[in-house]
Amino acid sequence: MAWSWTQLSTVSFSTEQISSKNQQGFSIIESRVYSSSSPLLLLPINIYATPTRVSLILSLTITMSSPLRTSPQPPTLDDEISALQSKTSTLLTSPSTLALLSSDPKLTSQSSLHQSHHLQTLYRTCATLTLFRAQDPDPNAVDAGSILGLRIEVVSRAKFLRPYYVLFNRPWASSSSLPGPQRKWLRVHRHTVPSCIPLSGLAARYLPSPDKDDTRRKQDLGKFARGVRREVVRYHARLGTVADLRKAAGLGRGGDGGDKSGLVDISPADAEVRHVSVEWGDGRTGRLVIGDDGEVEKLVVVGENGRDREAGRELLGGLGLAGTVKAEEVVRRLAGTGGA
Amino acid sequence: MSRISVPTTAPLPSSLRVNPSSTTVTKILSRLSRASLISVALDWLDEDNLSLATPYLRPDQDDNEEEDDGDFYPPASSPEELREEYLSLQNRKGSKRDVLDRITTGDWRHGVSLYQLAIADLQYLYDHPTSQKWSAYNIVPLKAPREDDDGEVQPLEADKTSLTIPRFHPSLFLKSLQAQILPDIKAHYNLDRHKTLPLLILRIFVIDSPYNTPLSLSSNGNMDTGSKTILIAFPDGSPNIFISKPTSTGPTGASESKSLGALLAEGIPKALSLPRQRVTLQSTSLTTRNLEGLLDRRGATRGNAAGGGWSIYADEKVKESPLSTVLPSPPLSDAAEEEEQGNGDKKRRERPTVEERVNKRAKLVAQARFGDTARVGDGKGVERVDLVMEDPFEIGGDDDADRMDIEGEDDGEEAFRPNVRLTFHGNHVFAGIRQLVECGVIDGEKMPGWMTGEEGVTIGAVRNGRIRGHKGFGL
Repeated sequence: MAWSWTQLSTVSFSTEQISSKNQQGFSIIESRVYSSSSPLLLLPINIYATPTRVSLILSLTITMSSPLRTSPQPPTLDDEISALQSKTSTLLTSPSTLALLSSDPKLTSQSSLHQSHHLQTLYRTCATLTLFRAQDPDPNAVDAGSILGLRIEVVSRAKFLRPYYVLFNRPWASSSSLPGPQRKWLRVHRHTVPSCIPLSGLAARYLPSPDKDDTRRKQDLGKFARGVRREVVRYHARLGTVADLRKAAGLGRGGDGGDKSGLVDISPADAEVRHVSVEWGDGRTGRLVIGDDGEVEKLVVVGENGRDREAGRELLGGLGLAGTVKAEEVVRRLAGTGGA
Repeated sequence: MSRISVPTTAPLPSSLRVNPSSTTVTKILSRLSRASLISVALDWLDEDNLSLATPYLRPDQDDNEEEDDGDFYPPASSPEELREEYLSLQNRKGSKRDVLDRITTGDWRHGVSLYQLAIADLQYLYDHPTSQKWSAYNIVPLKAPREDDDGEVQPLEADKTSLTIPRFHPSLFLKSLQAQILPDIKAHYNLDRHKTLPLLILRIFVIDSPYNTPLSLSSNGNMDTGSKTILIAFPDGSPNIFISKPTSTGPTGASESKSLGALLAEGIPKALSLPRQRVTLQSTSLTTRNLEGLLDRRGATRGNAAGGGWSIYADEKVKESPLSTVLPSPPLSDAAEEEEQGNGDKKRRERPTVEERVNKRAKLVAQARFGDTARVGDGKGVERVDLVMEDPFEIGGDDDADRMDIEGEDDGEEAFRPNVRLTFHGNHVFAGIRQLVECGVIDGEKMPGWMTGEEGVTIGAVRNGRIRGHKGFGL
């Protein structure tokens, strides 16, 4: 069941094929029963995907499978149950079983449930932005409680995190003073995006509130969704980079160690993790600013006698000036010297 | 120590000693318990803090002399000796008075530094987490100042489309805050990390004096009449700040403490601003004594804008990987299933009575409306919620007598809007409402959304059954 790149290249992008591959390749990886979070879960009704992204994400998921499968711990009962469940699911949806099942209405209905779920997870894996419908339990909710949910998948440290959700409603649905199309405009109702993501700014840009005098105003859910995802992915990439920097400098969770590189602390210095503070054992402190594309935008090191440009160059390791160097290159260089 | 008092704009130094017999010192220290007093004293004697909290030690040349008679608390010869002394006090039983006397008339008879007072004050906050009333503010970026056609500068407005998240740098903030504070009052600042919560706490101690010398702090000086303490908490990874209500030691008028609050509310956003990047503070209508509850609603968690039943979306414990091929089970179905299986075990159990079914249904409804929030023991409660009802009163029949009974103001129009204000009080308001739903006192299905606490506000106006224009989500 091991996958390699050669096999990947043979994958054509018809959804059915990938979905069956998906079951075989990944069915054992995730091993917990989970419950859907939305009160009323439907199929994704909109996706943003390109073939290139599909291949990218597939390669990601494959790299993540190896450490999990070789875990030395003996399987617990829960693991075994969920492994069995995923096997059942794979069995139920394979074409050969389907042919056998055609006479049993109960099993076929179960099978079609599994199939639609597979299709949904496939969209979630590959498109990473999916929409669903939900119901607001508040009896006074606007628009009879109809909710449109946006699900944003994030991969961090080779694992899919719990998706971030943005839930929209249509508060202007019954407003008679607005022209027809504007009554269907969306507004962010609830969300689980962390507060360091400028969600309100993005909403003000792409999902403005309607104005009957201003007909040029437009809402663009696609741009909004892509904008939020971009920010969320960048945020997690920066978090990952800081964790990698710490690891490369030999800083454990306790904060000790790191004598090889002379660094004693690397930690995020602001909410967005754009600024990273770096501390050396001899009292020098530095500030590293990570840009949008993961480049080291700025780097300042201050020692006892003012600014220490030498230390800054040393940290970048002669890779170039701040602004051209990627943060990952600094990680790699630190890891190199740490191991030497 | 300078002999002349010169008015200055500098902050009060941490090492400045205060007469231990002054009311402020007694008040701050005497409200601590015995165990806390000893741990505070040990904290002062810590290697890192010793320079700012030097105890009164026996001078070297007196070493050979016999101890002074009449000195109830003979001075120790070294900080280590004193540390031993307090450690042994920790194991002994005794009264709080003894420890307090030992500190004020013995080991720190020459004065307690402002830094020591700050540590003692924070210890009180750890001992009594609900002693302060905090208000949450959102830090929002402002638009660049503009001039209109007449060349007049327009008032600054919040930049709603800005994508920058305000940044906070502690030392820079302190420096600019000091510049904002008027020269006729003096302040002492102390920054500390909260012991258990992801917070940075800034304690500002203000006295009403233009001097920063010990004289201004002497017992007959301004310290006891007009000193105030204000705490500001900066949560990690969140563009919000929490400001406590100022507490004063002396008998000050309400206007005075209000003016300090106003001064700070004006100074803090200016101090948080960076060149070409101005910010302002926006109230988020959330005031509570519970810091943990504040962090849950305005911190760096996912649940900020997904309270109540929506918290199922924010629960990070739920695994929902798209790589799992196992069918998801809708929420609440687990509990129902378990119940069914349980019934199956006890074969032929009599069918659940109507009451049991109603109870079970009420529990499920509560779970649906509140999710995993508003549990009695979760420590995230708010203790007071104030709401104004702005909905018109729906008159069922045409009974005019009923209508006249209700106190309120009539609009004169068709809509009759009685002036109704609701205040919920308790240790954990929303857990209380949840319990009422679970008991069936409140119909969970007809209950309006603001009763679940999902808006994350403690002050609000209800119109059309929803909290109107709350700024909690900033959207």
